[in-house]
Amino acid sequence: MKKYTFSSLISQFILLIFVIVWIIPTFGLFVTSFRDKDLLSTSGWWTSLITNEVNEIYRTENNESQILENNLYVIKSNLFENINKKKITSFGITSKNINEFIINDIATLKDGSKITVYENGDYIWTSEKPFENKKGKRIFITASSPPTFTIENYKEVLFKEGVGQAFINTLTVAIPSTVIPLIICSFFAYALSWMQFFGRDTLLALIIASLVVPLQMSLIPLLSIYNDIGALFNVSSKSYPGVWMAHTGFGLASTTFLLRNFIKSLPHEMIEAARVDGANHYNIFTRIILPLSIPAFASIFILQFLWVWNDLLVGLVFLDQVPSEIIITAKLRELLGSRGENWEILTTGAFVSMTVPLAIFFMLQRYFIRGLVAGSVKG
Amino acid sequence: MIKIFKLCLAIFASVLFFNASAYAGGHYSGPDLSGQKVTISGPWLAPEDGYMREIASIFEKATGATVEYGGSDSFEQQIVIDIKAGSPADIAIFPQPGLAANMAAIGGLKPLSNDVKQAVMDNYAAGQSWVDLATYPDENGNDQFYAIFYKVNVKSLVWYSPDNFADNGYEVPTTMEDLIALTEKMANDGNTPWCIGLGSGDATGWPATDWMEDIMLRTHDPAVYDMWVSNEMPFNDPRVLEAMDFFGSFALNDKYVNGGSKAVATTDFRDAPNGLFTSPAECMMHRQASFIPAFFPEGVEAGVDYDFFYFPAYSSKNLGKPVLGGGTLFAATNENEATMEFLKFLLHPEPNEWWMAKGGFLTPNKNADLSKYSSDTFRKLGEILTGATTFRFDGSDLMPGAIGAGSFWTGMVDYTNGKSAKDVADAIQASWDAIK
Amino acid sequence: MAIFSLFFYVLTGILVCILYYHSANFLLDYFVKKKSNDSSIRAFIFIAPAFFILIIFIIYPVLETVRLSFFDKYGREFVGISNYIWAIKDPEFRRGILNNLGWLLIVPTLCTFFGLVIANLADRLWWGTIAKSIIFMPLAISFVGAGVIWKFVYDYRGPGDQQIGFLNAIVVSLGFEPQAWITIPIWNNLFLMAIMIWIQTGLAMVIFSAALRGIPKEMLEAARIDGANELKIFTSIIIPYLQQTILVIWTIITILVLKIFDIILAVTNGQWQTEVVANLMFDWMFRGGGDSGRGSVFAIVIMIAVIPIMILNIYRHREEQKI
Repeated sequence: MKKYTFSSLISQFILLIFVIVWIIPTFGLFVTSFRDKDLLSTSGWWTSLITNEVNEIYRTENNESQILENNLYVIKSNLFENINKKKITSFGITSKNINEFIINDIATLKDGSKITVYENGDYIWTSEKPFENKKGKRIFITASSPPTFTIENYKEVLFKEGVGQAFINTLTVAIPSTVIPLIICSFFAYALSWMQFFGRDTLLALIIASLVVPLQMSLIPLLSIYNDIGALFNVSSKSYPGVWMAHTGFGLASTTFLLRNFIKSLPHEMIEAARVDGANHYNIFTRIILPLSIPAFASIFILQFLWVWNDLLVGLVFLDQVPSEIIITAKLRELLGSRGENWEILTTGAFVSMTVPLAIFFMLQRYFIRGLVAGSVKG
Repeated sequence: MIKIFKLCLAIFASVLFFNASAYAGGHYSGPDLSGQKVTISGPWLAPEDGYMREIASIFEKATGATVEYGGSDSFEQQIVIDIKAGSPADIAIFPQPGLAANMAAIGGLKPLSNDVKQAVMDNYAAGQSWVDLATYPDENGNDQFYAIFYKVNVKSLVWYSPDNFADNGYEVPTTMEDLIALTEKMANDGNTPWCIGLGSGDATGWPATDWMEDIMLRTHDPAVYDMWVSNEMPFNDPRVLEAMDFFGSFALNDKYVNGGSKAVATTDFRDAPNGLFTSPAECMMHRQASFIPAFFPEGVEAGVDYDFFYFPAYSSKNLGKPVLGGGTLFAATNENEATMEFLKFLLHPEPNEWWMAKGGFLTPNKNADLSKYSSDTFRKLGEILTGATTFRFDGSDLMPGAIGAGSFWTGMVDYTNGKSAKDVADAIQASWDAIK
Repeated sequence: MAIFSLFFYVLTGILVCILYYHSANFLLDYFVKKKSNDSSIRAFIFIAPAFFILIIFIIYPVLETVRLSFFDKYGREFVGISNYIWAIKDPEFRRGILNNLGWLLIVPTLCTFFGLVIANLADRLWWGTIAKSIIFMPLAISFVGAGVIWKFVYDYRGPGDQQIGFLNAIVVSLGFEPQAWITIPIWNNLFLMAIMIWIQTGLAMVIFSAALRGIPKEMLEAARIDGANELKIFTSIIIPYLQQTILVIWTIITILVLKIFDIILAVTNGQWQTEVVANLMFDWMFRGGGDSGRGSVFAIVIMIAVIPIMILNIYRHREEQKI
């Protein structure tokens, strides 16, 4: 049955192009998240995938580490702080000429002292007079650097105090904020599609209009309602149920709109037949519509979950910024630093927080297939 | 509302920093506030949020109250939402006075008592100026004292690598004339004198406003600066255009700035100073405030790999040695006892000295022991201040938000992108007229 | 402990919700035996919670926004239509409208088209799921992350310096001058749109994937037996069948585009002539203490812009009802 026809090859090719174009930026971020944080803004991420030439500055030890050897004052050590696979090819002693000497050459400094640098970073600096330098001498090296990656960035994000708790907090926000609108909106969408009542078209128009209401405009009036309610019952106005309601409210229009499209497109003969058999709307909804709409539910679940998971603003406004309530996006921002000094948190954090929505996407993939089976029964 | 900004700081920094030590030391002891709670919200994130919580724990131990700090990088939106909706934290930490004034004007802040005001007068060097900077009209238009300055920074600094200077035989310039000559010499030597980056996400452009303010203070009388900040002198005044073109003589010259003038607006301010530390050096100098070392590559050491000098004044202009600075303010949105006590606590030497020892912190509090500063770098910042004859607060922070955090930023980006100084200044003035 | 409270919260929240529908319908069946009453009362049960939420979370804030647009920046004094007059005269606003039109023409069209093509192709290939998850990934990346990703694409360094932006690296390796992409007027709008398309195509794809399941298998097989090639099947069966879904997705993305501001805020903040109306709204609403009057005016402009889209959808809805 499987036969590679010309048109299927074309399909594969087109899809491949899409995939490549789409993945390059993400892949860049992925590679970046494993790079040393100081390299992020000095070289392109693709350079870390191959061996390439780097120019770096290191400092020798200062006069405190000098020893006397054969009547010569000697400072010797290794330029690299950490063991690495860099291979030095040339070096220099002033910023004006950074590759004046090739390795193993002897460079003579202004004060007559001599310095030699070797391929692995070892150096020997000798002088006839005692060294007096309080700070080390700068050595400029040109080295070939094989690809190196680090998981330091991930350690920094994953093991920071409070990140685990923030993950759980976010789940506490996200699961109900996804399931509740799905339940409420599926009934709503069903009523809009298959039930007769006064003002149905107006309600639909209202839903579409609601899609466009900018979230930012709603925050202040809503928070003041929350405050009034909180004051009335003498409870905190910022709480989990409050956030669920807010996410339900903000996601209501789009969820209903999408669900209605699916529910409406189900064959009407089926519903009419059930009506004739004496089923009421509740039974039709739970026994016929729900099973048939599984692919739709799965796709809308993913989208709403994503939205809530990546939300920052609603979480900041409707929850207290305390360890027991802070959400993951807010927590990552906190790690980022007041002026955003911790770049690496951005790249790593993006991947860490992406794992959950992606896992859900994979999990729900199979429901697309089950929907197919259910759907094909009807024909 | 503009009026109050007129009252700018004219501080002799000798007063500011070196009246000290006589009152130094001692532990804070407060009233018993057991069971009370203070909530604080502000823009500080790691690591400053940790420091803030430690400071708070000193207060907690002394009084028995509990303090909760929550930081957010969108603090400036959030405080507006919280205050307008009526549920802000007890204390808000404003990164600049302009926003605090706006919040006072809608009745969102609670005035502080005369005791606190008097304490600022007594304990802060040039106390009156700090009081004036925190005095705004309330919703009925009456001037009230609202906030305490805590954590100050200095902006008139040029960062450089002493080794790069030594390799090339450059000397630290002490006058603006020398700095201009040095810039030219560097370019002629084939080096790039400056690294300038204005990028900062939605705040792109702000580093250029600091340049403008520093230049204004070096080309004109402080009184002109005050008039400019309060818009008594229009933004498109020739004196402002002159300052902008002076900035342009550095930033728009492809030979003077790393990456050429096109790179100025698109380079992130966080990335810009890296050029000092590359091999070979991409640039020789970087003008930025005292907080910038936080963005330097890991492992570079103060005094060894980098150092700073005062962004010098013209020797020919006889304007003395002006210094530009900024600072954060603590304001109350709630009048409860613990909140008010916390603000008083910030005036005590202990929380000041604690943070001085951590670095990145300057204080105008006379009673704080200067020997507690973490490093020579910060003591040297004190020297820059002592040597200064004029201190002025960051002008863009004092301008109304729509200008100082809006059209001034975007205008400076347009300028580096080739728009003429006149067009830029006209547009900024027009936006200022639009909010009057 | 934390996990326990997670389960507790989640279960309570969801159970309360399910309990409402179940018990309300049970009570209705129990007390009202007459079948004719079924529809209207049950419709009320189905609609009530959503309607209640709609009023509080959408309608009330909208009314409040309309009110604020006629008031001064503190929302205290009535100023008539002066905020609107100011907006009309504001050159940034005109620039925003023009740019928004560009966004509205290009982004929804391309997202919908790409989404449909990808969903359709991926469904028939063995590595389709992998391809789909790759297209889906940008949607799952938080906005902050996306900002960094595109910094590493569009970043500009001076000629001769090492480029860290991917696009400039390619341009330089081909022997051209590097460009400061986001500062080139008109074109930079397209570069910003690319980010939006990159993110939202995943949304279109997810919905289309689900909708494609609704196409009767027999129809496709019959066409294949008749010798129709894939392109023919796509244009003459799939597209007509998904007409309604295409409209829905186009509507959703159009509305997302109307509201788009975070990409612009993070990348250019409206500089270099990339201003859009939603960014102006955000700017006036919050920057430097905010001006709720002018911010509201921009919000209302956005809401008015949705009317044609609404009419189109209602028209389609009426058409369906006729069948």
